[in-house]
Formats: sequence, C-alpha cells, structure tokens
Amino acid sequence: MKKAFKRIFRTGWLNFKRNSYLSFGTTGVMALVLLLFSGLMVLNYISGQIVTGLEDKVDVSVYFKNDASEDQVISVKQDLESQPAVARVTYISKDQALTDFKAKHAGDALIQQSLAELTDNPLQSSLNIKAKESTQYASIVTFLEGNKLRPVIDKINFYENEAIINRVQGISRGVGNWGLVATLILAFIAVLVTFNTIRLTIYNQKNEIEIMRLVGGSNWHIKAPYLIEGGLYGVFASLITIAVFYPTLWFISSKIGILIPDVSLIGYFVANVFQFIPIIFALGIALGVLSSYIAIRRFLRV
Amino acid sequence: MIELKDVSTIYEDFLALDGVNLEIKDGEFVSLVGPSGAGKSTLLRLMTRELKPSQGEISIDGINIAELTNKEIPLLRRKIGTIFQDFKLLSRKNSFENVAFALEVSGAEAEEINEDVPKVLNIVGLTDKAKNFPHQMSGGERQRLAIARALIHRPRILLADEPTGNLDMLNGYDVVKLLMKINEFGTTVILATHNREIVNIVGRRVISMEKGKVVRDQIEQGKYII
Repeated sequence: MKKAFKRIFRTGWLNFKRNSYLSFGTTGVMALVLLLFSGLMVLNYISGQIVTGLEDKVDVSVYFKNDASEDQVISVKQDLESQPAVARVTYISKDQALTDFKAKHAGDALIQQSLAELTDNPLQSSLNIKAKESTQYASIVTFLEGNKLRPVIDKINFYENEAIINRVQGISRGVGNWGLVATLILAFIAVLVTFNTIRLTIYNQKNEIEIMRLVGGSNWHIKAPYLIEGGLYGVFASLITIAVFYPTLWFISSKIGILIPDVSLIGYFVANVFQFIPIIFALGIALGVLSSYIAIRRFLRV
Repeated sequence: MIELKDVSTIYEDFLALDGVNLEIKDGEFVSLVGPSGAGKSTLLRLMTRELKPSQGEISIDGINIAELTNKEIPLLRRKIGTIFQDFKLLSRKNSFENVAFALEVSGAEAEEINEDVPKVLNIVGLTDKAKNFPHQMSGGERQRLAIARALIHRPRILLADEPTGNLDMLNGYDVVKLLMKINEFGTTVILATHNREIVNIVGRRVISMEKGKVVRDQIEQGKYII
C-alpha cells in the first residue's frame, strides 16, 4: 500500500515535470484564480473595516434636564447597563461636558469670552450609549421611553441620528450582500476556468489513458497520478500566489493607508499569515484535485 | 482456448462482423488476413473486451467475456498481450517505464519490476535503449518495445493488429520472427495483417476474412490467397 502510494506520487511528479510547458500554463491560470480570491479577501476586509468604522461612529446620547440629580442619572445608567443590547454607557456630568466644550473650542476667543460671562453652566449632563449592533438602537430608545425616570430626560438624540443610523445599516447590508454575490460569481468563474484548463491538459493525454486501459490498468491506477498532478498544480499555484500577494500588498498598503487611515492591510494579512497561507493552499490543492477528478472521469469508461 | 460462436458486431448501421464461428487452440499461431474493413481489428478488439458483440458469444478459457464486470476487465487484459500498428506507447514514459507500467498496474513489487523489465527488453533487443523515449526510437524499435510490454505479463495470448503496417520489410520481418519465437514458448499468437509476404513466411494456420465473414480457414501450411 505504501509502495503503491510512493509510486503514484512519483508518477504524478514525473508527469508534472515532463509536461512542463502545459504545467506552466495550467499553474499560471490557477495562480491567477487564487490571486483573484486573495483580492476578494482584501476587498472584504477593507469594506468590513469601513463599515465597522462607520458603525463605531454611531451612538445615541440622552440629555437630562437641569433639575435631574446625579443619582437619577446614575440610576438610568445602571438600568441601561442591565440591557443585553447595550455595549457601554458613558456618563458625562455637567462639569465634564463644560470642560470638554472648553477644550474643544480652546482656539475660539469669542466662545471663550461668552463662557466667561456666564455665571451658570449651560450644558446638560448626558449618557452616551453604544449598542452592540447598530440595529439595536431603536429597542434601547423604546426601553428608555418606558423608564420610570423618563420625566427627567430632556431629549434623546436618536431621532436626529435615526436617518444616519439607517443609512449606515443599509450600506453595511449592501456591502455584505453584494460582496457575497460578487465572491460567488467570481469563485464560480475561477472553478470553471481551472477545470477547463485541466480538462484540456488531460484531453491531450486521452490516447495515453486509452493505452493504460489496454495494458490492463485499473481505473484507480490510471486516475491517481492525474489527481496528484492536479494537486501539484495547486501547490505551485499557491506558492506563486503567496509570492506575488505579499509584496503587492506591501506596495498598496501604504497607499490605502492614506485613503483610509484606520486600515492596515499588510498588518492584518501578516498577523493572519497562518490562516491565510493554509487557506490559499487548501483552496489551490482542492481546486486542482477536484478539477482533475471531474476531468478524468469521462475518459475512464471501460 | 478462444471460442467464438455466431458472433456479429454492428457499428451503428455497418455490419463489421457477420456470424463468425471460430475456435483457436492454445499454442496456435494464427494469421488473420483480408482487405481493410474485413473485420480483423474488430475481432481482436472483441477479444480484449474493448467491444462487446452485438450478438453471439466469445469465451476465453471457457469464460464468456461479455459477462465480465468493470473490475474484471483489467484482469483479462493482463492475460492478453496486445500490439498495434501505431504501437500505442506512452510518449511521456521512457522504454523502461513503458514496460514497467504494465507491471505496476497489476500491483507488482519494485524488485520484480527491476528484475523482469530488463529481461524482456533483452529478449526484444532493446537493452541499450531502456532510457530512451518513444520519439527517440525508430519504428522497428518502437514495435519491439510494444512487444516487450505485451510480453511482460507472460501472456497466454498475444494479439497483433497489423504490427508491421508502419515498418519496412526488414523491420517487419524482425517483428514476425520475434512473434514466432514467442509462439515457440507456448503463447497463442493471433496476427492480423494484409501483408502477403509475411503470411507466406509464417506458413501456419491462415484465416481469411472478407466483409465480416470468415471465407477460408487453412489449418496447416496456410498461404495468403485472395
């Protein structure tokens, strides 16, 4: 059994080597397909980062009336924190709000002057709420509306933010759905191209397959070296893909970084190198072996 | 022993074999002659189960080969050596590997292969061409390589379909001499050809075919007569 495997591997390797011209072409096509997949992964990552960035910017603030005591605000905060949909609640006291405001407009003499003339702090204390998912803000607001301390709440800015929140959700859904559709279509084309290339390679050898059958080769003996050959196309195509992908990524990463400062492409793909490389190899080998398997089936009718 | 009982083969609407009855005993040397399209190749392809008869029965050693399963067909083919006009060698394999492949598919051990292949290459006179690929060899050498491959299983039956068709007289004569030598060791040889000189040199049983029928069967000292 071990001997048979060794022999099959050797034959597959010899076929690959001796067929170098065709192997080169097939490997090239597969490498292109794998690069396409890598490109899709990059696009998915970038669009995911953009959507996450947008979602991060969405929040809801609850402003309290001036007569609300700190205890009441803290009580509302605790109520909110007990909600499973809430990721975090930040309490901003009147004083804190004023300090922030001053800091924000430190360069604006007019505002500084106006503030100095005020004897009272005009700003309200507030709670800043972050939901785990952007879809959950509506239910959090409904919860607040029903709270026993609703009378001390002045306003909830959800109603102003609602349009933006909905739009971000729309973009997020769109990117997800269209990304999936595009990936599926491209993956289908990729499989078709690879399959066809390998089928042509094997078609070239249909006389050989016929001869193997004539000298009494069993289907398995004929098929196995072709499957190995297909797997080898995958291995070499993956190597080429990785060798092209990382330098390219390094090159474009800085340019993407200028456009979208939060995204570090090279950082992400280097950090996930032990996931990315096995995925590319698994994809390449599976594509090669599967295409060979389907392609050779029709030549094997006894 | 090979037995054909009332065998007919129809290719779409062409009658390639028409009610053929034959009996070939172990150790015979049979020349199968006739013009192109007489049904010689069809007859040979029936014996290796490349084709199934449309009607009738073919048995080898008492087994009706039409009833073989897909798994049993390779086993039948290992019992029968076959050589062809166009040699049918594996172009991506060298001489040694071409012969070795026939052994590998039957699950032979590496030691057996390394021992048997040089022996059989020696029989056909190709010892010094073991590393050559088919395209680096002459027609006569390729046909001898094909014979070596056919012999590697020590087959009981050797089918030769126009083996001299692509060779000049001298090389053709060499190939036929080799077939006669193989026959002397007890292998049944069936030689399909339309080469008159070669048939007359062999001078053994001659079966003449025409339009899918056996028209003459000379058991002894046969000659090519049309």
